[in-house]
Order: sequence, then structure tokens, then C-alpha cells
Amino acid sequence: MLKIWSMKKDQQKADNENTAAGKKKKVTAAQLRVQRDLSELSLGDTMRTEFPDPDDILSFILFIEPDEGMYRGSRFSFTFNIPPHFPHEPPKVQCREKIYHPNIDLEGKVCLNILREDWKPVLNLNAVIVGLQFLFLEPNASDPLNKEAAEDLRTNREVFKRNVRAAMSGGRVGGVTFDKTIK
Amino acid sequence: MASAQAYPSSEPERWKYLDRIRTRAGPFTNDGIFDGSMVAGQMDKMKILVIGAGGLGCEILKNLALSGFKDIHVIDMDTIDISNLNRQFLFRQADVGSSKAEVAARFVEQRVRGVRITPHNCRIQDKDEDFYMGFQLVVCGLDSIEARRWINATLVNMVDDAVEDSYTPLIDGGTEGFKGQARVVIPTITSCLECQLDMHAPRAAVPLCTLATIPRQPEHCVEWAHVIAWDQEKPFPELDKDDPAHIGWLYQKALARAHEFRISGVTYALTQGVVKNIIPAIAATNSVIAAACCNEALKISSSCAPALGYPDDNYMMYSGNDAIYTYTFKHEQKDDCPVCGNLARELDVDPAWTLGELVESLAARPAAQLRKPSVRAAGKTLYMQSPASLEAQTRPNLERTLSDLGLREGDEIGVTDPAFATVSFKFKLKFTKKS
Amino acid sequence: MTEIVANQTPPILHGPTEKEKKYDRQLRLWAASGQAALESANLLLVNSGPGVSGVEALKNLVLPGIGRFAIYDEATVGEADLGVNFFLDQSCLGKPRAQCVTSLLCELNPEVEGAWYPNAEDVTTLESTLATSPLFTAIMYALPIAKDTLALLEDYGRRNRTPLVAIHSAGFYSYFQISLPGAFPIVDTHPDETATTDLRLLQPWPELVEFASDMTKDIDNLDNYEHGHLPFVTILLHYLEKWRETHGGANPATYKEKIEFRTLVQKAARTNIPEGGEENFDEAAAAVLKTVVQPSLPSGLKKVFEHEPKKPIAEGSSFWIVAEAIKGFHAKHDCLPLRGSVPDMKAQSKVYVQLQNIYKAKARQDAAEVLETAQSIAPGRHFDAAEVELFCKNAPFVKLINATEGDESESNLGAADRLREVTAQEFASDENAELTLAPLSLLPIYLALKATSHVASASADEILADVAKTVPGANDQERVVQAAQEVARAEGGELHNIAAVTGGMVAQELIKIITKQYIPVDNTCIFDGIASRCQVLRL
Repeated sequence: MLKIWSMKKDQQKADNENTAAGKKKKVTAAQLRVQRDLSELSLGDTMRTEFPDPDDILSFILFIEPDEGMYRGSRFSFTFNIPPHFPHEPPKVQCREKIYHPNIDLEGKVCLNILREDWKPVLNLNAVIVGLQFLFLEPNASDPLNKEAAEDLRTNREVFKRNVRAAMSGGRVGGVTFDKTIK
Repeated sequence: MASAQAYPSSEPERWKYLDRIRTRAGPFTNDGIFDGSMVAGQMDKMKILVIGAGGLGCEILKNLALSGFKDIHVIDMDTIDISNLNRQFLFRQADVGSSKAEVAARFVEQRVRGVRITPHNCRIQDKDEDFYMGFQLVVCGLDSIEARRWINATLVNMVDDAVEDSYTPLIDGGTEGFKGQARVVIPTITSCLECQLDMHAPRAAVPLCTLATIPRQPEHCVEWAHVIAWDQEKPFPELDKDDPAHIGWLYQKALARAHEFRISGVTYALTQGVVKNIIPAIAATNSVIAAACCNEALKISSSCAPALGYPDDNYMMYSGNDAIYTYTFKHEQKDDCPVCGNLARELDVDPAWTLGELVESLAARPAAQLRKPSVRAAGKTLYMQSPASLEAQTRPNLERTLSDLGLREGDEIGVTDPAFATVSFKFKLKFTKKS
Repeated sequence: MTEIVANQTPPILHGPTEKEKKYDRQLRLWAASGQAALESANLLLVNSGPGVSGVEALKNLVLPGIGRFAIYDEATVGEADLGVNFFLDQSCLGKPRAQCVTSLLCELNPEVEGAWYPNAEDVTTLESTLATSPLFTAIMYALPIAKDTLALLEDYGRRNRTPLVAIHSAGFYSYFQISLPGAFPIVDTHPDETATTDLRLLQPWPELVEFASDMTKDIDNLDNYEHGHLPFVTILLHYLEKWRETHGGANPATYKEKIEFRTLVQKAARTNIPEGGEENFDEAAAAVLKTVVQPSLPSGLKKVFEHEPKKPIAEGSSFWIVAEAIKGFHAKHDCLPLRGSVPDMKAQSKVYVQLQNIYKAKARQDAAEVLETAQSIAPGRHFDAAEVELFCKNAPFVKLINATEGDESESNLGAADRLREVTAQEFASDENAELTLAPLSLLPIYLALKATSHVASASADEILADVAKTVPGANDQERVVQAAQEVARAEGGELHNIAAVTGGMVAQELIKIITKQYIPVDNTCIFDGIASRCQVLRL
């Protein structure tokens, strides 16, 4: 067993010295983990990040410009907010534009399994970013967040494609005006 | 043995039951470390910290006061709610709305003569390392995993292997319904709470699209109201989960949605339970777990009997659903624990170095073999090699000196490198020249 | 759960009452029915020695709102009480301990009524306490206790069928022992959610078969959305049908066949779709081993079926009649009444609710059949339909505690024999503990404490001499010697922590017994505060 209580007086002294020297700044496990995730991010040509405050690596913006698929030619952006309990909680990701997509609702909420029910601490930011990219390549009608868009995709792919183009140009689909995302 | 003399404390008649045990060796006492003549005097002077003045905290304060501890501090930021009264026995109807720490401290101080209890009505994060360094033992009765992880990391990070007293044992209790656990952590020496995180399965989340389009359970309706409807309609500026008007709004929304999908079972209690993630709690279980924790505190402080912690068992699981079952075992420390498996190493640096020189020196360290190190300090990004935008933003720092960047002796830096996808390094700066 | 969904506009918001708010955290465990049982209970604590464990148990029962309690304690508050009992203070010195503790316990919950004895007025003995008090629901007594006092309590217990709980705590050790007045069945055992799935896939009834075949009749031509939202129950029923077509009408029975069947299900999932796979088929495959099973009779219920009460069933409590009716149901249908709950699964809302209703309807039908049988067993008796439904729903998890109810004169002799028998078993299994990695028996603690059942304290040698009388030879065992020394160290004193652990456990047990929910200890629980663990033994 530890003899933990034996050196009380010495400790008081040491305490005082530490106080005089000011507080030591410690790196938290979450911050270090995000740092690691960021330093191994592979964004390619179609994505880039923007950090409003470089000292705060827990919040940033990701820009995606799909170069294939139905959403080609547009630029979408997502805010990333990483909770202090990362990686035990997933990052919070929200689309900044109002877009027409079966898996993204009009408030920008994203239905991606690894952002919620299937998140695991072993996953990293790269996995999330790959997941987002995939949503633009293969929008999924089976697990919709925007029911109308999903219905269009299921019943008539051509109509859906036209709607995507219209929405990306800032047009109206089904009574909703979308944000212009075409570059 | 049993005939040996007890070493009485200042009030021998009052504490005779306790003194018989804590000052006399028994058949299991380790004579090598036990000195009965010292126990009462040492415990009189010990400073012990109780984190949480809720269901477990009230019990812990009572138990410690009756275990011979005289200088107890308690920290809790919460105020008393009516739903606390079925188990938090230091509080009365008239105390609703007052600070838990203050009411609990005052009550126990008045009941047990000679005990001093100092309340801290604040968040644990509001106190710094110096505060926590002042205690020889910390006993936790919290309901939040986040707070546990914070205090665990703080106590582990406090360890300085040259200073024996920097090892502050952490005793942690937790309950849920008829179940609970009591465990002891000797920071860096035994498995820490972070090593044990997988013992608590997180609540399974429901896919967002299920909530949005195909709800099936009453919980799905409540979650929909909470996650989707609230954001769309923003009935109040910010959700206050303790405000009945807010919970009432969510309940109405959930009920209407359940009605639409013909789902039964949405109630006010369910709504509150889901939104606040309420864990059932009763006095009986708190009594068992808090006392098991304080029993370890007494054994650790007096060495009058072997305690949980080191070298063997450190964890007691308790379940009262089906008869009573305990499982007491040794939870092994994890080598790759992000808290106790990754302690900061000392790094000799010259404060007059530029950051660029520091990065180069890291890359040149044979032990680490870093190729493209990225470096951050607490709350400050020094230099990141990636992503590109952050690299560009932090590149100018490479020309600045360490002292210029605000780094000080003892500060920690975190170093990562894509060559080591699974490891990251922490260094504690040691200045070779005083700046 | 009551169905509030009926065709009505949502009711006007009525939040919880003050009482529901105060008891919210426990109502989530034992519901209003459990709370009502607690509130009508009347407990007695007969205290002696330091007597802290029993007081801690009462604290844990007053807080959740037990109806009434009484303390019988002849002690006067002394200085040493103030160092170990939280429900006393400086001003109590020299006063009756029962009075002071009762008054401070009552502060904890204004809804609870407390009484204390002996009082200076009319009730001065335990006998008169027992004679003049409203009937006690359960009695706790602290050890050590005088033999004649114990005899009084045992007699009261026998006459009134009152459960007794003996509590003994000294130093780091304690145990408590529950004596129930007879076989004690529990219906509402609160099994783990994961254990409760009963989908009756191998004995589906016509409505379920029709629903499933309707959904899957054109399974290969369903569009991706519909295919991806078939509830897994219908998927499994469909492929079981297919399986039987190629296996001479037999269901997959062996482990190997079930694995084959699981592969068949997995392969039926569509993969050439954006998601790359189908969640509902994953759920179906994952459920094969757990739900494609022939129903078997769980051991707890088997014990109930085999139990032979002393009285003819029709004259006994409704429990035994309903049990008999369920036994008949099982014999007739080769399965238990349907539980009626459906786990959450990927499906469209409407389809899921339909499936839920099919299961609920069948469960109601089964329960109605059981009710009818019960009425034919005991004509003229009234049965609460809700009670029968609950029994049917929980049938696989019903538990019988204290199953052997012998004749009383025999049971005393039996207890001594039984202790010797259990001691031999425990010591034998300790010899293999190193191989089996099982923790060592805590029986030595019980033996050492039991030796001081009727004396305030004793030396290690005196304890061992007494052990030698009860269980000859046990006194030579090293662990018994150590336990005796540890008990002797306490000299009959309690440690507050051990009293609080013990009082917490005793309170849990009394809550379980009073509410008839969850499963009580059968019948002795020993706590070792040095190793920090418990052991339950039937002694």
C-alpha cells in the first residue's frame, strides 16, 4: 500500500512554490485526439477547411465541391463542432446551406449513421468527412430526413436530378426556395 | 491481537467502536505499514474531498463524519430539487432551491460534533490543480460520466513521480436503480476511470431518419420533439430541461406526434426521463455504495485492513435486482489509456528557440522518429502541418520564439504525427535557460 | 402501459403531482403499485447492541415513503452511540434511544408515521408492543438478541405469517437472514429487457402468418424502400417457410441448421443499392439464434409448476390458481401464453404498429383463456384480469423463493443440519477455488458472527468453542479462526460504514418483499468489508 500521508509538510511547501510559478497548462486528451485526427486528414482536391480561430481546433468549417455525381459543380459547407468528450461523443456536423437532399433536412441536420447511432471512439474525423462526401455521390432514399426529396428520388430519378439542379441554382422545389450553391 | 490495546482518540468513549478497529491490528492487517498509535492523529489532520452532494454525496458526508475524518470539503454546483428528497436525506422541503453543498455541509457539521465541513458551491472545473493538490483523498459520488472523467484526468495529471504526495487516491461510487459500483483508483499505478470507460455502455442512439420519418416507439416521438421540433420552432430561446414549461412543450409535441402515428405510451414522466436521461435512484442503493466507498476511505487512511486499489482488486460491482450479487475484481490498467497511459514526458528546451527550431528538434529526436510533427499547447495551436488552411495560419509562428509565443516552464505541449496514427505525445517543457 | 392514444385531442397538460415529483426517481423502478404497497406497510425494528444497521435500513425505507414504522429498543443513548449513529445528537444523551432515533427519522419524510417503545406510559415490554400495535408487515431485529426475545418474535412471525429479518453487524463483517413465512412467489421480477423476446416464430398463429405472408408474398419484386423496411419478424417467417419447403417440413433445429438458415437470410439481403446492405435483414440474421427456438419451460416456472402447496390449490392464493391454469395452458399448447411485446425493429411506423397489435391481441386472447381456466379451477372466486395478464406476460420469469416449507418443529432441527451440510460444501469448493478461480466462501464470517448471536461480545477462543458446537471441526479451519479473531476485534461494536452497507441491503430486500417486485435474497447474505464483497447462501 502507498504511504500516501507521510510527507504532509513537504507538500505544503511544494504547493506554495507551484502557486508562485503560476498554473501549468495541461493538454487534454480530447484536444490531443483532435490534433491527431486533423494532422492525418486527407482532403484531396474537392475539400478544404477553414478555422475561424486557429487556436480553437474544435470548431471549423468544411467545404465540399463534388466533382462527380448529381451534386457536381456546387460548393457545400458544413460546420464541425467537436464536443469536449470527443471521441466518446461524435462531432456535431451541420450543413450551412439550405439544400435539396434526401439525407439532409432544411435546417441542415445530416442523417449519417456514424454521426449518431453508429459512432465509435475508434472512428476519426476522416471517416466523417468521407461519409459526407459519399452522401453527395450516392444520396440514399431509404433513410430519409427530407421525405419529399427521398420520395422524388425513389419514384423518378430524372425528376430528382432536375430538382437537384434547380435547387442548387437557388430555385424552388416543392414550394421551398433553396440556397444557391452553384459556383 | 484482540486483546491489544486500542489507541483512543481525543474523545475515547464516543469513538470507541471505531478506535477498536482502526487502531488495532486484526488477522488481515498488514503489520508492515500499520501503526495503530498514529492513526487517530493522522486522520484528524487529513483533508478529504467529497465531490457531489447528491444521493451518494449526502451518504458519503455522513459516513466520513462517522469514520473519524475531521476536515471534509464538499463541492457541488447544484441546487436542491423536490425530486431529490426521496433519497438525499440531508435536505428538507424548505431547502428546495438552496445550494446542495452548503445545506449538506451545515447539516452534518451540526449533527456530528468536531467535524468541519467546507462547502464549495461551484463546478469542479472552477477549481484548479492547487485546490485538488490540497487533499489526501477524493471520494466521488457523481451521476455524470463527464465530471468523473474530468476529475480522473485532473488527479492523474497531478502525479509527479518525484513527489509521493502527488498521488491522490480517488474513490468513486455510482448507482442506477438497485445496481451500483464502488472502485478505487491510485492514479497512474492502477487502472483509472478512463481505462474503465467501457464498463458503462452508452445509451444507444436512434437514427435521425427514424425520428424524422418512421417513428415506432414513444421514445422516438419524444426524441423527435427534442431534437427536431424544438429546433424548427424554438418555442423558448434555450432549452432548460428543468423548466416544466419546456418539458411540457416537448410532451405536447411528442404526444401529438404519437397520436399521428398511432403510437402509445408517451407520458410526461417518459418525456422527462428521455430528455433529461433520468436514471432511477433510491436511498437503499446509495446507502450501500456510498458506505462501500467510505469503508475503503477508512481502510486506506488507517491501513487497519487491506483496501481495494493496489495491488489486487480495485472494483466492486453490485447488483440487487436478482437477490444480491457482487463481483469484486481487478480491472487492469490499459496501456493505451489516453489519460493514464499517456503521461507528459519532460522536454528540455531553450525559451529563446524559435518554434521552428523546436519542431526540428522533435523531428530529430531518435526515440520518437517523428517526420512531420504538429504541435499544440493547451488552448493554443502552435504549428499544424495539416490541414492546409491551418498550416497557412500557423506558419508564421515558426519564426517566433517560445517565450514570445507565451510558453512557460511546466506548460504541456501535444505532438502528433501522421507517421504515428495511433500515438500522440505529450511533453512538459523544461527551460534549460531562464527567460 | 395504458393506451392514451384513443381518438381524442391531446389532453390539457397536467404535469406530475408534488408527490409524483418527490418520488419520481423510485416510481421509475417500482411504479405506482409498488409505491402503494410501501405506503401501506408497517415495519418493526427490534434493536439492541449499537443497533446502527437497523436504523440505517429504516432511513432507507422512511425516505421512499414506507407507511409506518416502530422501533423497540430498551437502550438509553450513550456517548458511544453518538460516534456511530447519525440519527442521534448531543441533546439525546441519556434519553431513550428508540425515542430519539424515531424523532430524527421522522424528520426525513413528513408522510411517514413513527412509533417507539418501550414508552413510559402504557407499552413497556416487547410483548405488549406486539400485542397492541397494528399488524406488522415485516420485522427486523438486530443481533445479538436474548433468546426469549427471539422466541417472541418467531412466534409472532409464525402466527401472523410475518417475514423476519435478522441483522448482525460487527466490525468489518455483517450478515442478514430473511425468514419468510412460506413459499414466496414473485411475478413482477423485472427481467432484463434483452431476455424477454418471445416472438413465437416456430408456432405462429393464423393472424401473424397471414400478416407476414401478405407482406412477403412478392418479396423479390418489392421496391428497395419496401424491401428495406420489411420488419424482421416477417422476413424470418417468410424464410422459415422457404426452409421448410426444402427440409421436409421441418424447422431449423440444430445449431448447424440455424447457422445455415442465418446464411440463407443474410444472402437474401439486397446489396446493389446505395447503402450497400439492408438493416432489416441484418436485424433478422442477428435474431435467428435467439428467436428461432422451440419454447422450453424456464427453471423458475418449472419450480412453480412442481411446487405442492399444503392447502388444496383452489383454497390458496390466486397466485397458485393462476399458476395451475398456466400449467394447463402449457400442457395444451406446448407453449406459454404470449408475452405480447415486440422489440423495436426497422419498419415503417404503420406496419410496426400493426405488428404490435397482432401480438397484443394474441397475448390478450391467451390471457383470457388462462383466466377462464382459473375460474373453472376455483368457481366463484373473483380474479383481477389485469393480474392474470401480468402473470401471463411474466410467466417465463416468475420466481419462487423459499420453496421448501416444512413443518416448524422439523425446520429448527433442519436448520442445524443444513448449516453443517452447507459448511461441508463450501469448504469443499474452497479447496478447488484456485482451479475454478471462484472467490473463497464467506461462510466463516457467518459462523463467527452466529457464535455471538446471544452475547454482547466474545473472545476468539469463545467464538471458536461455540462454532465447534454448531459445526464440529469448522473451528480448526484457518479462515474460521481468522474470522473469529476479526469478530473479536470489534468486541460487538459496529462500524458506521458496514452498518450503512448492511442497512442499505436490508432496505432493498424489504422493498422487494413488500412490493413483491424484483427477486429477494433466499435467504442469507454475508458481507465482508475487508474484501468488499457479498455472498448469498441458503441456510
